[in-house]
Amino acid sequence: MEILIVNLSPARSTLGRFARAGRLRAGLAALVALAVPTAVPAAGVSRGFSRLLDAVVRIDVREVAFDEGARRFEASIGSGVVLSDDGLVLTNAHVASPRAVEIGITLSSLERVDAKLVGWDHWTDLALLRIDMEGVRRRGLKFTHAEFGDSDKLFPGQTVYAVGTPYGLTRTVTRGIISNTRVYFEADHGVNGYETGLFNTWLQTDAAINPGNSGGPLVSDDGRVVGITSRGYMGANNLGFAIPANTARRIVSDLVRAGAVTRSYIGIVPGALQDLEGFYALALDTGMLINSVDPGSPAARAGLQGGDILLAINGQPVDGRYPEQLPPIQNLIASQPVGSSLAFTVKRGGATSTVKVVTERLESSIGEEWVLDRWGLGVRKVSRAYAREHQLTDDTGVIVIGVQPGYPADVAGLQPGDIVMKINRKPVGSLDVVKEAHEAYARKPEAMLFEAERSRRVSLFIVKP
Amino acid sequence: MKRLLVASILILGAGAARAADLTALWAERLKCVVAVDYFTETESERRMTTAYGVAIDAKGTIVLPPSAVDARTAPRQLRDFKVYLPGEASGSDAAYLGQDVYTGWHFVRADAATASRLTPVTAWAARGPSPVPSLADPVWGIGLRSKDEDFTPYVLQSHVALVEELPQKTAIAQEEVAGPGLPVFNASGVFVGLAASSFGQTFLQFTRLDRSGTPIILVNVEESSAFVLADEVLANLGRVPKSVSGRPLAWLGAYGLEPMEREVANFLKLSSQSGAVVSEVLEDSPAEKAGMKDHDIILAIDGRPLPRFRPDRVVTDYVDREVERRKPGDAMALTVLRGGDRLEIRAVLGEEPKLIREAERKYLERIGLTIREFVYGDAVARRIKTGEATGVMVHYVKPNSPAALAGLQAEDWIKEVDGAPVHAFSEASVRLGTIEADTHRTEFVLLVSHGSDTAILRVKLR
Repeated sequence: MEILIVNLSPARSTLGRFARAGRLRAGLAALVALAVPTAVPAAGVSRGFSRLLDAVVRIDVREVAFDEGARRFEASIGSGVVLSDDGLVLTNAHVASPRAVEIGITLSSLERVDAKLVGWDHWTDLALLRIDMEGVRRRGLKFTHAEFGDSDKLFPGQTVYAVGTPYGLTRTVTRGIISNTRVYFEADHGVNGYETGLFNTWLQTDAAINPGNSGGPLVSDDGRVVGITSRGYMGANNLGFAIPANTARRIVSDLVRAGAVTRSYIGIVPGALQDLEGFYALALDTGMLINSVDPGSPAARAGLQGGDILLAINGQPVDGRYPEQLPPIQNLIASQPVGSSLAFTVKRGGATSTVKVVTERLESSIGEEWVLDRWGLGVRKVSRAYAREHQLTDDTGVIVIGVQPGYPADVAGLQPGDIVMKINRKPVGSLDVVKEAHEAYARKPEAMLFEAERSRRVSLFIVKP
Repeated sequence: MKRLLVASILILGAGAARAADLTALWAERLKCVVAVDYFTETESERRMTTAYGVAIDAKGTIVLPPSAVDARTAPRQLRDFKVYLPGEASGSDAAYLGQDVYTGWHFVRADAATASRLTPVTAWAARGPSPVPSLADPVWGIGLRSKDEDFTPYVLQSHVALVEELPQKTAIAQEEVAGPGLPVFNASGVFVGLAASSFGQTFLQFTRLDRSGTPIILVNVEESSAFVLADEVLANLGRVPKSVSGRPLAWLGAYGLEPMEREVANFLKLSSQSGAVVSEVLEDSPAEKAGMKDHDIILAIDGRPLPRFRPDRVVTDYVDREVERRKPGDAMALTVLRGGDRLEIRAVLGEEPKLIREAERKYLERIGLTIREFVYGDAVARRIKTGEATGVMVHYVKPNSPAALAGLQAEDWIKEVDGAPVHAFSEASVRLGTIEADTHRTEFVLLVSHGSDTAILRVKLR
């Protein structure tokens, strides 16, 4: 049986209607005390729990999309939890991204206020918002904030509650247990096309989680936030996943400080050693397999190869026997300052050696996006990571992500997936080259020669009025 | 539906004015057509294919159309060729002679007994230049039913609708006029062309549920309405391959030719001609040695500007054929456009590097894996220098075999076996062969590359 893991994400506000698979999102406003399940003695009366309910908000997002070759707006709804008195709200990266042009928050008092994106981190599927405190003060609005619990202390079987807006049913609390404290999965396009899951494991719960719970908190009996509900298996029964609070806490502090999470990149793809210890003549619980090394990456320059065994980083032994152990090791590398020199103790065949790997800044393979209105052309910059994955010579070019039917780019024959390398024989080294050509076209519309690659084949196109 | 069509055409044929003439012409010309079947042997199956062919000489040489054999199949996988005369239930053994790259034809030779019963199609060729059918000229040809109907012959008749260069001069008839690979004649029985593969026709399909009509494309694979004109056919009948590999094969090394669209030609002030964009110039190729660069636009060959074709994309076939009709060692003068400059390039064609279908292969049954020699085309596909080309390719993985359970897939690239690099096919073949033969082995480990990633795979043998 094939099961699809999807973000519990956006719904247009229509109740219970799927807008698009994987894009159902819904939010939760406040929960009134009456709605607390009576069969739960502790939670029903816990002061912490009611305080938590007053800190959960509904988030309405309007974001711009370029994938149809035009500036298009999408509205969606999600959940979030207030973290501080100065109006920080935590939610999922797939609820609020830098593409958001309008973020509205409904407090537990049912009052609506504006918010701005502080920063996002698609790798952990988290985003941080700041409520417009000016407006809150002017209108004399009140809200409480939630406290994080220690997600490392969770145990399988522990009771937890998910708070969110499944299928648009606001103020829904569901109850379940922690099913697994440490689940591993990563997805290349898990957060609206962006990579996720490389640096953290996930909490699994059987609390009913449905499309619409996204960004809402997973809380313990005492109302402490132990996770941020994020994903679920479609078509399965009560297999939900949340980002652990201890991961979230770290990400929040980075986002508050710098508006982004900066990570180090070295370019290795790890593999679990499970069952291969004999072949590599290793003691159990020792070392991590390097399955692959990205061409041109710091690890490749340091001479690392697929099939090498990483024994220690800066003298600290690593243990990557099981897949669940890989994200912490990846995170250890990623949390070094960019440009740091790491000593990798590596076993290859019978020999063990130590090599220095100088880290680079981690980039997403998804580059910056833009739309060229007059051409009806949506594009995304080729990133270094994309170029590496697709074995391109360098990061020249923009990828066509959408064309508007009947507009010049479409009439010329450009298609999504094409990589525009040159415009009027000028190499497309940056998005600015495309923007400038488009401005020139807007001032004086005349035919322009595009050179584009489609599955390695180069074609010429005339984009003209 | 097809049966109905055939039936109606048969009736038409019977009712036509020249019925008597046609019957006699038809009976005679039937002697140049045959059906051919053969088996393609793979690791796990034996698959039969049927094709139609035409006899071209007294030795029993038969030409089959390009589509008769899958281009990816290695000649040594082709077995048990048999030739059937129309209407006969049993066939006779025949030999596969190989494919000619220029025409794309496959050549087969019938045994002497069968050859003596055949009349070459040249017997009905015009003396001097063959007639070029004019618009609306009546033409007719032969179709053959399937094997369980003893390849019963039937007549097909139509009229010429259009003559176009694709880039071979090709006539398109109003309706199906012959089985693909079978000859077409004019009203007086002169050979006017050889039916090409049929092409799709678009229909709108209406149903009770879908009343808006969904466009669908129907292809009649047993009959064709297009035929390559006789002079293009007759001029190339001598191109019988000297070996099944079809070598020598001329090679330029200009990869990924893309047509220059009309709009682009106009923009570049080249509206009277066409061009072909070279996507990549391959490493160590004659094109590279001649100084051709990626993204050059070929404008002329031997001083002749590339002609305009309808549709534009035919121009890439034209350039390919210009290479294919030459021999290794022949010179080719190319005029290319680079940036805004026109440059003259003189390439000396080389011999095509070993093709994937020519690569050595070895099937390891217990492991459930066929390995294949890493050839030039594999290096091109993986964008690597030929100097980095070590290891072997995975050609086939048997379902549910140890190799399949380990996660191995066709087109994976095996770089290491048990932690040690494999350099050449022979080395991989010996080492994997030893593992295969060692019944005490319980597992081994491969380092494979898939796309831009590598992975360690453990293959459990028991």
